[in-house]
Amino acid sequence: MTATDVRPGPVAAAVAKAPHPRRRLRFLPAVLFLVLLAAAWQLMATLLDFVLVPGVPAIVTEMVDIVSDGSFLDQLGITVLRVGLGFALAFVVAVVVGIAMGRNEFARRFFEPAVLLGLTIPGLVWALLCVIWFGIDLVNPVAAVALSSAPALMLQIYQGTRSVDPDLLEMAHVYRFSRRVTLRKLWLPALAPSLFAGARLGLSLGWKVIVLVEVFGMSSGVGYQLNNAFAAQNVAAVLAWTLLFAIVMAILEYGILQGLEKRVSRWRKAVSV
Amino acid sequence: MRLEGIGKTFVDARSGTPQQVLADFSLTVEPGELVAVVGASGTGKTTLLHVVAGLVQPDTGTVETGDPRLGIVFQQPRLLDWLSVRENITLACHDGAKADEVLAAVGLTEYAGSYPTVLSGGQRQRVAVARAFAVEPDLLLLDEPFSALDELTARKLRLLLQDLWMQRPRTGLLVTHNPLEAALLADRVIVLAGRPARIAAEYRVDRERPRSAEDPHLFELHSQIVAAL
Ligand SMILES: Nc1ncnc2c1ncn2[C@@H]1O[C@H](COP(=O)(O)OP(=O)(O)O)[C@@H](O)[C@H]1O
Ligand SMILES: [Mg+2]
Repeated sequence: MTATDVRPGPVAAAVAKAPHPRRRLRFLPAVLFLVLLAAAWQLMATLLDFVLVPGVPAIVTEMVDIVSDGSFLDQLGITVLRVGLGFALAFVVAVVVGIAMGRNEFARRFFEPAVLLGLTIPGLVWALLCVIWFGIDLVNPVAAVALSSAPALMLQIYQGTRSVDPDLLEMAHVYRFSRRVTLRKLWLPALAPSLFAGARLGLSLGWKVIVLVEVFGMSSGVGYQLNNAFAAQNVAAVLAWTLLFAIVMAILEYGILQGLEKRVSRWRKAVSV
Repeated sequence: MRLEGIGKTFVDARSGTPQQVLADFSLTVEPGELVAVVGASGTGKTTLLHVVAGLVQPDTGTVETGDPRLGIVFQQPRLLDWLSVRENITLACHDGAKADEVLAAVGLTEYAGSYPTVLSGGQRQRVAVARAFAVEPDLLLLDEPFSALDELTARKLRLLLQDLWMQRPRTGLLVTHNPLEAALLADRVIVLAGRPARIAAEYRVDRERPRSAEDPHLFELHSQIVAAL
């Protein structure tokens, strides 16, 4: 993850300044894939001509309905709040535990079994247990998200801490950097790649488990709506909810998380697509 | 700065065998003096410097430095790659004007706003030198500051170091494996050899600054140091 030896030439600057045509081209393969997928699906639906395999227009109509009657934003808001709270909890705990593990041998040995155990327990198990223990309380989804994403986060941050250059810490010590400066200017930037990788991983785990929790034990949220659609055998609605959810996740991932990461790691200049 | 009876033993992480790098080692550097420590690699020069800097705790002995403001140039530049060159310096010296001044002195004014990653190795090491001088150190520690550079760049930086030193003489310890560098820059050269390391030879360099690398007197001294190594 170190890019200290990456030396950008004039090319990097040129790419950064290059206007839209290139950028549009960059998305072309992805768009092509989606168009082909939709076409293939439509072909299959037409050939099968079966009520449980709705065509593309039916799915799109369903999506438009869900969005335009306002239920999507409401339900999405509820789900995002649950994921957000659970993820924030996991993140804070993981930063503390992960750094402790990286800096202290006892802490590492102490938390290692918890991390390994946590990594192997399926999100489904956490979802079931939390539904049983906490019922329809807000604690339920928050705990399930936190429990299922924290181990992966801890591992990421622990490994990031280990990779912080001890030479730089020595330098900071000799030049008497204050604790605050050392944290802000050395630790955080050095940990940034692992923090982002951890955030990405933790969020994706959180999304998966929240839908399960909402299917089993909640009376609101995207998972609950999915379950309703499923019970009514409305396949178009199941697909519509899933697609909308996936779009929002993609926006979060590519629009927000990646944009933030690019800003933070501008100095790297290594172009990541 | 005084070292008195310093002892340091490292235990090899793999084999578990202890090796005594320093034993009962003493050295005094007078105020205003620049002392060069010359020795083959692995003799314990870096260890010695780190003891002085407080980065390594000696097993025995005392270090009297009077808690000086330290300026240090490591073998590698050790810059924060995510901060601009200028900010790398201001973080150490808390003084933007000072940072600009030292950057001008090392000829890197135009790179003040750049990230260190766009600089060449020699330029990065110049930033490290600038940072060391920016803090107005009472004690300047240099650990083979130019050994990772090509000879041409190293030669330029040695003369630059001499210039900076002449502007503001202070107390300094220069570790190097290059005898000519030691003779060119130092007031006194000590040769370190053996395990545990001891002072095998000691030379005074009574030449006015600025000195030139072509000075025959320095070259002769260089030959003596090589012989002692
Ligand atoms: N942290 C350490 N742990 C174990 N051995 C070390 C450590 N630091 C230095 N040494 C050993 O001490 C000896 C002297 O090292 P060093 O002071 O770096 O030598 P020099 O700078 O003269 O090349 C070497 O044999 C090295 O392996
Ligand atoms: Mg060394």
